[in-house]
Amino acid sequence: MSEALLDQARAEGRTVLNEVESKQILAAAGLPVIPTKLATSPNQAAEIATALGFPVALKVVATTISHKSDHGGVLLNLPDAAAVRAAYDEIRASTSHLAAFDGVSVQPMAAPGIELMIGLARDPQFGSIVMVGLGGVLVEVLEDVALRLVPLAPSDAAAMIREIKGLPLLQGYRGAPPADLAAIEALLIAVSRFATANPDIAELDLNPVIASPDGVRAVDARIVLTENEYSQ
Amino acid sequence: MIASEASATYAAVQSELRQGLARVFHPRCIAVVGDKQVRNYSWLKSLKPFTGSLYSVQVDEREIPGIEELGIKNFKALADIPEPIDFVVCAAPRAVAPHIVRDCIAVGTGGVALFTSGFSEHGDEQGEQLEQELIQLARNARLPLIGPNCMGLHIPRLGVRFSTDQPVHAGGDIAFISQSGTHGLNFSLGAALHGLYCSTLVSFGNGAVLEAADYLDYFADDDTVEVIGMYIEGVRDGPRFAHVLRDVAQRKPVVVWKGGQTEVGKRATLSHTASLTTNSRVWNALVHQAGAIPVDGLDEMLDVVKALRRLRPTTGRSIALAAMTGGQSVVIADDFAKAGFEIPLLSAASSDRLREFVNVIGGSAENPLDLVNTVLYDATAVRRVLDILDEDPKIDAIAFEVSAYIMHSRWAKNPALLEELLDTVAAFNQASTKTFVVIIYPGHVEAKAAEVRDALQQRGVATYPTFARAATALAKAIAFHTARAEL
Repeated sequence: MSEALLDQARAEGRTVLNEVESKQILAAAGLPVIPTKLATSPNQAAEIATALGFPVALKVVATTISHKSDHGGVLLNLPDAAAVRAAYDEIRASTSHLAAFDGVSVQPMAAPGIELMIGLARDPQFGSIVMVGLGGVLVEVLEDVALRLVPLAPSDAAAMIREIKGLPLLQGYRGAPPADLAAIEALLIAVSRFATANPDIAELDLNPVIASPDGVRAVDARIVLTENEYSQ
Repeated sequence: MIASEASATYAAVQSELRQGLARVFHPRCIAVVGDKQVRNYSWLKSLKPFTGSLYSVQVDEREIPGIEELGIKNFKALADIPEPIDFVVCAAPRAVAPHIVRDCIAVGTGGVALFTSGFSEHGDEQGEQLEQELIQLARNARLPLIGPNCMGLHIPRLGVRFSTDQPVHAGGDIAFISQSGTHGLNFSLGAALHGLYCSTLVSFGNGAVLEAADYLDYFADDDTVEVIGMYIEGVRDGPRFAHVLRDVAQRKPVVVWKGGQTEVGKRATLSHTASLTTNSRVWNALVHQAGAIPVDGLDEMLDVVKALRRLRPTTGRSIALAAMTGGQSVVIADDFAKAGFEIPLLSAASSDRLREFVNVIGGSAENPLDLVNTVLYDATAVRRVLDILDEDPKIDAIAFEVSAYIMHSRWAKNPALLEELLDTVAAFNQASTKTFVVIIYPGHVEAKAAEVRDALQQRGVATYPTFARAATALAKAIAFHTARAEL
């Protein structure tokens, strides 16, 4: 199925996969992502939400936007089917100026935890790089990130997390329960393996990943393919 | 399949080229091609102390008398030289360079370094083409070609140099690999100043045929080399460099100074991750991941190499700090704490012994120690303090400050005071079982501090000019020894 999604994107001349496509590919590769489905009507969104369990989040699916929340394209904590149908229409209306509207993604709300950003990029000289940092605004403003070259050894994953200045937040700040660091390390290793197994994936953002005492879950995801001329 | 066969062949050729370096790095005969008056015959003059035979090749009749005046025999062609040539320095213009390289191949020289510039670094089409031609020639003939656009070799033990300022000595165990001639020269001069002895230094410029990874690989297998330092700006084959660095750093300490850290414009990217993976971050990650030691600049390079070569290895981070004044005892503690050291209370036994003689009025017998009024005029007291710290089971390392700016007037009045201090510190350094570092704080008497540094260096004691530099260098050496112990 992953191959089919990649082929389809290539056929459409796209290098960016949307959230739903990206998560399907990642889930198939065994990475912990929140189950997410695409709805193209209010009723379909409500059906999916009922099957997944409330509360849910709805996000616009449009390959042309990277900051969905800036466009009023994200609505969270929707408690029931009626709220989901209304949210679908609201997102459709507030993103109507966008050229490409592919639908709305429906997913259960993530359990609370610390937001991380984990990703993959391609350095022109050294190849694939795995990155981890604290998520959201912290990563953008403070650029508190740690990098390693693929392939990652288990000791590399452990060292990366300990390199982040925000580490104390993960270790249980002000009485909060500590996040499952072993699960974060395992995800970093899994991302490294994913890069090795998929040489035509140039970039990956898992942002945010929610780290909690129970493990890690990628809440949003985006895959960018290599330009055709670079593909092997 | 075809691609992997090609890369296997490529790797085999590269391996043969590397093996060829053994002859180049142990030359018995060197020829300089194209040295001239306008350069003040600096290649030939620099190579004057060479222990083997040195010849010149120059066809320009106007240049030959000046060469012969140096007592160096000149020939019109490499082929005329009556013995096997292990190493050729080529200073001829770029258009002639391929001809010289062909001559090197024809007479079977061990290798060549091309000082000649104007190749790929120049950015014109002719330079690119000429460099490709050199690469083809050298690879086909398995000729180890260093450069072009480089200064070549400094082998102090054999008197091989590229500057008359470079030292000649009995040899050492440090190898230095430099993409820049300037930083190669600066390292060899700085090393001499700091009492560090190089085995071999190579400035490799464009690295057209042999690049940093090849020299790293060579020095990893060279049993005379204990520490490898490198200055690097960029690499041709990134994955190979990463792989070799990781491999070599498991076997020997590799200290890496990366030039060109600032970003010259970010790449256009589609993801957050890609926008955050800047060149300097990637290099940083690469060096850490390999287990190599990153440094920022020449001073830190020399500081860390000194720590690795001159300080007793330790994996412990508990340090005893002994300063000559109260103010210094506060900031020495700050600087070592910032570098990740623990500054524990001394054991009860040590405290009791120190209180017997350390003047605590205006001073302190606790870690960090303030030895004002105790040691200013009394080298015996210095030794007593240091011995107590040495015997304290809670302590892994000892840092001792000499306040040159306070002591210089006392030393001027009574030179024996300085001699006693030097002898005491040197004798303790010999006897100590712990990592021992001395900081000579210069204040306004830099020349005097340098004199004390040299005197201690000659007695085998490693010194640093500031607490921060000592702390950083020692912390990096400890991190290396710790990682090594965990392997």
